[in-house]
Amino acid sequence: MAARDGISNGGSLMARRGPRPAPERLRRLLVMLPWLMERGEVSLSEMAAHFSLPANEVVADLELASMCGLPPFIDEMIDVFIDEGMVFTGVPRVFTRPLRLTAPEGFALLTAGRAAMAMPGADPAGPLGRALDKLAATLGDDGVVVELGRPALADDVAQAALTCQRLAITYWTPSRDEATERIITPRAVFADQGHWYVLADDERSGDERSFRIDRILAARPTGEVDEPRQVTLPDTSRWFADDADIERVTVRLPTELTWMIERYPVDSLVVDPDTTGASLAVMPVASEQWLQRLLLRLGARAAVLSPPRWSDLAERSAVEVLAVYDDVNCDS
Amino acid sequence: MAEPLERMTNVLALLLETKQPLTLHQIAAGLTNQYPSNHAALRGAFERDKSVLREIGVPIEQTVLAGDQAGQTAYWIDRRRYELADLDLTDDERRALQLAVAAVRTDEAWGREGLLKLGAGGEGPSRAVAATVPTFESLPPLREAVAARATVQFEYRDLRRSLDPYGLLLRDGYWYVIGHDHQHREVRTYRVDRIAGGVATGPSSAFTRPDDFDIRTVFPADPKLLGEAEHETNLAVVRISAARAALVAGEVGEAAVVARHDNGSIEVEVPCVNRDAFRTWVLGMTTHAVVLQPADVRAEVVEWLRAMASPTAVH
Repeated sequence: MAARDGISNGGSLMARRGPRPAPERLRRLLVMLPWLMERGEVSLSEMAAHFSLPANEVVADLELASMCGLPPFIDEMIDVFIDEGMVFTGVPRVFTRPLRLTAPEGFALLTAGRAAMAMPGADPAGPLGRALDKLAATLGDDGVVVELGRPALADDVAQAALTCQRLAITYWTPSRDEATERIITPRAVFADQGHWYVLADDERSGDERSFRIDRILAARPTGEVDEPRQVTLPDTSRWFADDADIERVTVRLPTELTWMIERYPVDSLVVDPDTTGASLAVMPVASEQWLQRLLLRLGARAAVLSPPRWSDLAERSAVEVLAVYDDVNCDS
Repeated sequence: MAEPLERMTNVLALLLETKQPLTLHQIAAGLTNQYPSNHAALRGAFERDKSVLREIGVPIEQTVLAGDQAGQTAYWIDRRRYELADLDLTDDERRALQLAVAAVRTDEAWGREGLLKLGAGGEGPSRAVAATVPTFESLPPLREAVAARATVQFEYRDLRRSLDPYGLLLRDGYWYVIGHDHQHREVRTYRVDRIAGGVATGPSSAFTRPDDFDIRTVFPADPKLLGEAEHETNLAVVRISAARAALVAGEVGEAAVVARHDNGSIEVEVPCVNRDAFRTWVLGMTTHAVVLQPADVRAEVVEWLRAMASPTAVH
């Protein structure tokens, strides 16, 4: 069922342990019954797969439903029985239609649809566009706009991921501030926190790596095609955060500037008890160049408290940049 | 006494099928022996059932009766409000929605629950293209309020805000709600992840959205354009070193490249309406970017750097 070259999305509904709580069982039952009534008979295994539930849980829920009824409880409300792996229903009654979409469900469907429309390869005139029109007509003029603002090369890289084409790329690495030539086989393209990434087999490291697509300065197919391979997308918010080997920095910064570090993994962010209007952030440091850029943006009111070797990094960085200003005059 | 799930299903069926609103005692009498006989226990059990049903989205109507049963509350379910509207989706449209939900990474299973109601089940197909979409509890009620033209209230930066929401926008990984702010009497933008607590929604049709409202233009695409136009100068010329020229030209677009030098460096003209965002952008390139024009904008950046270069001079 799952394409071999696609992404494993994890978090299967099937992975749950222990008995499900009553509200969840009821919610599922209200979808199962109309689905079943529409079909009349269906195999238990198909039903279990459709609802991502183990077969024994489907049986338990249907058995319970078969005991429910309406006053005076003379005959079953839901005429359902299971025989030799098949589920049969009689005359559809009471729960003939699913419960309406809840606010979160409606929001999620519209948003997913709009997000997919903003992805490489979307076809506004295709079935997704028509499905979204029908959803919006039912749920109301929704006013939800999803922007994934993709860089120029995103479509080409996505196409390479679909066809497993090897690419020769020129890639700028911010932590070393240099552009390098690499050979990659794109496996999946994904947007996260405002950036597009490609997860790819990286020839140089022999490993799977993520590259930011807006940092790919050039890409051309090498003509080689690799075998499809299933991949699992990384969680970008944990990229550095989980790595205990990466050095940490403690920065004191004006509280009104904490928005500047919101996009980075932060171990802790607390109000500084000793300085009015200041906060203390402990963050993993990807590289000295990265920290340098952050400090330049935070300005003179921020300070590195530890480690000591970076306590004058802000000052040194500012002097370096000022030197360029001395060289390049307004009138040059 | 019946298992709670069985009893809830029976209450639901009873309220869906009833021809007239039913009081608590009529419900308990209908479901013989399924509720406790003690009145307080009965009331407690029914309240729990009712709140579970509402939690999963069942619209339970209620009214206070007059006449013989004056003062008693009676309940029913309006089938037209309960049932999923017929969306009339074709198989390929349903499949397209399923692909869309599979391509979006979120913390919630809302989309898959919705798909099941629309008849699309099973493990979602996998995709080679995906996007992470952050979700917050306040987003669904905000979307419904936009659709219903209902005023919302929420806490934001320790203040109670009252907003006629015009739309929701996901940009650069953040959700924004944009609308007419009652206190400020102007269109304002709020970051949804900074809304504290719940969203209270008022009655429908409380406002009309301006016909020419376009969320994309109200909210400038370039953060360097954001904010009040408090400065006369709106554009700055920045020299970009050869090492970054290709990267920056790709970001700002070829049209913004106003000069190319023999050594490979370029000059770009970019908005600087929002000085904080502009400075952040320029300094993020460290020694690779130098502001050339206008003189006052350049002076501001130099001043910022000088304050850093001589830390003793600052407070």
